[in-house]
Amino acid sequence: MAEEKVLNGLRVEKINSILNSMRDDKEFLGAVTGPWKSRVVWQGGFKAKAYMRKHAVELDEPEGLDAADSAASAHEQLLSAVGSCLTVGYVLNATRRGVKIHDLEIALEGNFENILKWAGHSQSGNPGYPSIKAKCFVRADADEKVLREIWQAAVDGSPVTQTVTRPTQIITEFEKV
Amino acid sequence: MSQDKLFPVTVVGSWTRPEWLVQALRRRQAGEISAEEFNRIADDAVLAAIKYQEDAGVDIVTDGEMRRDNFYSFVVDKLSGMRLMKLSELLDYMKDRAGFEEILRALDVPAFAIKSPIAVTKIREGEAGIAVEEAKFLNAHTTRQTKVPIPGPYLLTRSSWFEGLSEKTYPTREDLARDIVRILRRECEALKRAGVDFIQLDEPSISQVVYGDEAEQTFMCAALGSRSDPADELEFAVRLVNETIEGIDGVKFGVHVCRGNWSRKEDVLLSGNYGPLLPWLMRMNVSQLVLEMATPRAGEVDVFREYRNEKELGLGVANPRTDEVESPAQIVQRVREVLKYFDPEKIYLNPDCGFGTFAERCVNNAETAYRKLQAIAEAAEILRREYA
Repeated sequence: MAEEKVLNGLRVEKINSILNSMRDDKEFLGAVTGPWKSRVVWQGGFKAKAYMRKHAVELDEPEGLDAADSAASAHEQLLSAVGSCLTVGYVLNATRRGVKIHDLEIALEGNFENILKWAGHSQSGNPGYPSIKAKCFVRADADEKVLREIWQAAVDGSPVTQTVTRPTQIITEFEKV
Repeated sequence: MSQDKLFPVTVVGSWTRPEWLVQALRRRQAGEISAEEFNRIADDAVLAAIKYQEDAGVDIVTDGEMRRDNFYSFVVDKLSGMRLMKLSELLDYMKDRAGFEEILRALDVPAFAIKSPIAVTKIREGEAGIAVEEAKFLNAHTTRQTKVPIPGPYLLTRSSWFEGLSEKTYPTREDLARDIVRILRRECEALKRAGVDFIQLDEPSISQVVYGDEAEQTFMCAALGSRSDPADELEFAVRLVNETIEGIDGVKFGVHVCRGNWSRKEDVLLSGNYGPLLPWLMRMNVSQLVLEMATPRAGEVDVFREYRNEKELGLGVANPRTDEVESPAQIVQRVREVLKYFDPEKIYLNPDCGFGTFAERCVNNAETAYRKLQAIAEAAEILRREYA
């Protein structure tokens, strides 16, 4: 039996089969499309815990906000979510193109536009990031042109990146219990 | 080592690496070629490095550190118990991740690009030692005097003891330092037996103690491991250097200190005059201090006033990181400034640092490096005529 080809930690045949199923199998496509869920439970102070499928992630705020700084904050985890999604996209696209990655790292940062709105001192402006910088460092077995193309494909195809780069409606509901 | 010339010209260590050598190094690190195959390829690179130095007029030559990944990480191939780890692999063990993040962003480098040897089990040297084979090959292929740079005991201890990874075998840095000193002592004795004239202990981490920020952990100047109070650190460094070389005579010892050689951006490198360091450097029982003095970052030479002639000075007179070649006249002028505090027979001339401290991040090309050495040799000739 031929040995299964593994590239960048992915089984090449398996991943191609999964990608084809997304195109050919409506039920599978539906499962991948969503809904994706998270439940966030207050833990006291600024602490929260997010439960997603079988996983849980803690969130807190920095000490400067009189919090315990026991975990990364939501706005930091947003940056990480963008970076992680770009990482997944890079690995996926590199693997599809047969490019071996040795090291991959993405450095992200953002500045709030008007955090005074969060603090209740201002009614105008955007309390969030108006832009996010994401710099990709990669060492891989391909020339720079190919590696840049893979990066662009990762950015264009990243669900998280594309969510934060375009208006996304948050449909809020509220209930007093 | 007797040196019959005034103003001997030497190098700090590394030569710039040709692309084919870097490719071979990567293949060896990936396990695609053996160490023996790599060494056969590197032999040609060493011969070229020697030829460049000899043709330029260098009196005390090195092998260009052509077989090394960088000036200290190469020990992982020579010592069992050491593992070369990327900074990205060490993030989980770091106490001050936020501080590291700031440095990474200031330098605009990925964590995976910075590697350090980490002591993960008991360290032991192999039969071949650390640099003895390099030295034997060098001595067999030159008639000039030879210098072999090796990582100093403080550098190796500071960079390779890492909390969370090392303390199972070495509860404290002191415990690791004992083994490192023992291994380096044996190495120095072996290098002397191999006919090396000059052993240079590279101790750039000392600079980080004085000129770096106050972070307990950093990776500036190969100073990855934690540090304590600066005075305690410097005292520790003096003791380790002296324990390493105590009683070994018949070979010249020097200590090289610099403030960064990984970037051409002068503003990201450490700066400041040698004043705060000299009380400690002067207590190291070495003949020579090999110091970068070619850039304004090195500060004024008057700091040597109270240490007149106490040591030889390996005077850095060329910046290895620039395209412009210093003129012999400029170099002569710099030496004249230093002659206020050192007799002519106390001054050796060299570039500030190596031309390829990091194999994959050489700071210059061979042509420019060669011309810089030529300029230093021409300056030495002018000075010899004047001070003979």
